[in-house]
Amino acid sequence: MTVNRLRPFLQDARHYQMTYLSIFLLTGILFLEWHHNLSHYAVLIVAALCIQSMGMIAVNKYNKGWWKSALITSLGLCLLCKTGSLQTTLLAATLAIGSKFIIRFRGKHLFNPVNFGLIATSLITQDSWVSPGQWGSHLILLLVLGALGFIVLAKVQRWDAPLTFFIVFGGLMYANIVWYKGWDFGVFLHSITSGTLVLFAFYMITDPMTTPNHRTGRILWIGLVSFLSFVLVTQFYFYSAPIWVLFFMSPLVPLFDKYWKAPKYVWAPKTPLVIHS
Amino acid sequence: MKTIVYFLLSCITFMPHYAHSFCGFYVAKADTELFNEKSEVILTRDGFETVLTMSNDFKGDVKDFAMVIPVPTVLSRNNIKVVDRYIFDRLNGYSGPRLVEYYDEHPCYRYDYRMMESMSIPAMEVMEDASGAMEFDDYQVTIEASYTVGEYDILLLSAQESSGLKRWLTDNGYQIPEKAEAILEPYLKSDMKFFVAKVNLEEYGQSDYQNLRPIQIRYNHPRFMLPIRLGMANAKGSQDLIVYAMTPRGRVEATNYQTVDIPSNFNIPTFITDKFSTFYKDLFAKAYRRNGRNAVFVEYAWDLSSSNYTKCDPCATTPPAYSELIDAGVHWIDYEDVSGWGGADYAGNLFFTRLHVRYDNLHFPSDLEFHVTSNMTSHQGRYVMNHMYDGPIECEGDTDLHYYLDVKDRRENELDNLAYYAGWDKNKYRSYVSAIDAHLERVDPEGKRGNVLFLFKHFGRNILRHSLIPHYHYAITILVGILGLVLMRHFVRRKEVLRVQ
Repeated sequence: MTVNRLRPFLQDARHYQMTYLSIFLLTGILFLEWHHNLSHYAVLIVAALCIQSMGMIAVNKYNKGWWKSALITSLGLCLLCKTGSLQTTLLAATLAIGSKFIIRFRGKHLFNPVNFGLIATSLITQDSWVSPGQWGSHLILLLVLGALGFIVLAKVQRWDAPLTFFIVFGGLMYANIVWYKGWDFGVFLHSITSGTLVLFAFYMITDPMTTPNHRTGRILWIGLVSFLSFVLVTQFYFYSAPIWVLFFMSPLVPLFDKYWKAPKYVWAPKTPLVIHS
Repeated sequence: MKTIVYFLLSCITFMPHYAHSFCGFYVAKADTELFNEKSEVILTRDGFETVLTMSNDFKGDVKDFAMVIPVPTVLSRNNIKVVDRYIFDRLNGYSGPRLVEYYDEHPCYRYDYRMMESMSIPAMEVMEDASGAMEFDDYQVTIEASYTVGEYDILLLSAQESSGLKRWLTDNGYQIPEKAEAILEPYLKSDMKFFVAKVNLEEYGQSDYQNLRPIQIRYNHPRFMLPIRLGMANAKGSQDLIVYAMTPRGRVEATNYQTVDIPSNFNIPTFITDKFSTFYKDLFAKAYRRNGRNAVFVEYAWDLSSSNYTKCDPCATTPPAYSELIDAGVHWIDYEDVSGWGGADYAGNLFFTRLHVRYDNLHFPSDLEFHVTSNMTSHQGRYVMNHMYDGPIECEGDTDLHYYLDVKDRRENELDNLAYYAGWDKNKYRSYVSAIDAHLERVDPEGKRGNVLFLFKHFGRNILRHSLIPHYHYAITILVGILGLVLMRHFVRRKEVLRVQ
């Protein structure tokens, strides 16, 4: 009975993502003093759901799980986007969800909605920012979140994405900080264990909708994102570099998809899961 | 009558007495004891333009003073200044944690009267003089520039390798800590230059100044950081650093550590008056431990733009004026004579953030990196004392009884705050609460206060006066919400069941 009930829940990877992001957010609210932003969170979630439903009506494509991806996007924005006023928050939610309906290419939306919302809002209003220090340096917390992240990614079969990111970006950072500059290992660890990076690796560059479909293409693309982020972080002291790089690299995804072909990811498979015994 | 008195807290005075410095280290030229108890910096940032002013509270023989700090670029002569110490006292006075004191009005009547006490700090004029030179030697250390600014001889060094730099510093009479070489290396690799200052005794002898004055440097570089790691080379325990950051946009926050608002705006017992600095010290220590010993605390954040008329609330001192801000390195504002209440004598945008960092080797593995956000939320360390109305209360009904019961509750709450925020043992201060019992006994000899009906009335009265603690409100709202959801779900289910049938 319970198994039957749980099956539809377990089949859809978006449920995993939702749970994952909610754990992130709850941890922050309970342990990292984020409760000052509760009104922003409420505005983000409500606005995202409203705009998603309006968009659905506009494109005349209604399906049952419409709220799922909007909720995931709004949770992602809650975690990353800081704004000076509620109006800006509203704008961020609008831009993020709106980009899914407006900026599309061959049936896929081009930008990761959270990424687009973050960058577009900060370009338009100058009133939003990403706070890379908000996570503190709680190593255990980040390890737990990383482990949970892999469970989510095993479900969407995108575990190669964060692995590539951590190997390339982490490797370059290690080479720069420990080998070249001669800092302690602790400095390297501190630079790499930020919640923003974990979220970026496990949530943004693993989005099955806005990253290349084929594994080879994806690994190459993420390698490029990691390398460019590294250059910006170390040479130009640009702290939210990965997010900006992702924004400018997203339009390249169709190119990668063209050379390495693979079917588009489907959130909830139509055919029920059959377990052979 | 309601009176407000402000107690200014100079945070610095209670800091641990370690030989320390914020960025870079003070090095002795001889084996004398160093004693540098304060570390404060003013940091202004407009675009990539950064002005860093470092306070200097070196105690000891001035001829032994030396300071080494890494800077991102070679500074030209006119980007190095010596400013007067008063600006630090001024900003500290303006932004320090404050104790606010209220006196309860007569419970039978209400009237509002405010009185404020403010402090002023005498200003001093700024003096400056200089000369320039350049030379090279063969430690693979290049002297990029050499200036005399005020009472300091300043060198800007670049080096090929840290061992050469260390040798140069040692040979030139600077005592470098053992571990310093390993720490110098990464800065050299990051293309940073070393700013080395010592006291020019001739100039110092001619000046009237008792203490060494703060050095102010200005550079244009994307990097926005404070090199605290270097200062840890010769420190054993934790060190305190206060950063007065000013930007045209909004708050400054750390990018590689968590930035947290210091707990504020709660009631504390009246006996704190003369123990306020101990209380704040404990409060800070508790918040520091609670946040994993590696957080950066915001002690003050306020919009000082000329368009904002409320430049502080409550004001501990008058907000900084144009000349003081210019001395602090705020170069983007213009002088404008605006008279009238709350008006500033400058035009332009300015946001003030006071950050307090307690750092040590273990919990702060890398230098403090900052960024400017557009966050304009105000915050201040503000602690409230409420004095009980002490005179006779003679009015109808049970006003006096209600009042004393409220005071007792309030005092209990104040002790809870004291225990929660500062970690003090509240059992030591039981008499603070039990002192009210005498009043209760006096106004209610029959023990009416134990009566359920009376308590119900008392509770209702408090609800009407909105004196419930906000936490209850939240709890009630959440409970009602959950109940609503459960009921809704139940209702929807029933409907579905009906439809199936």
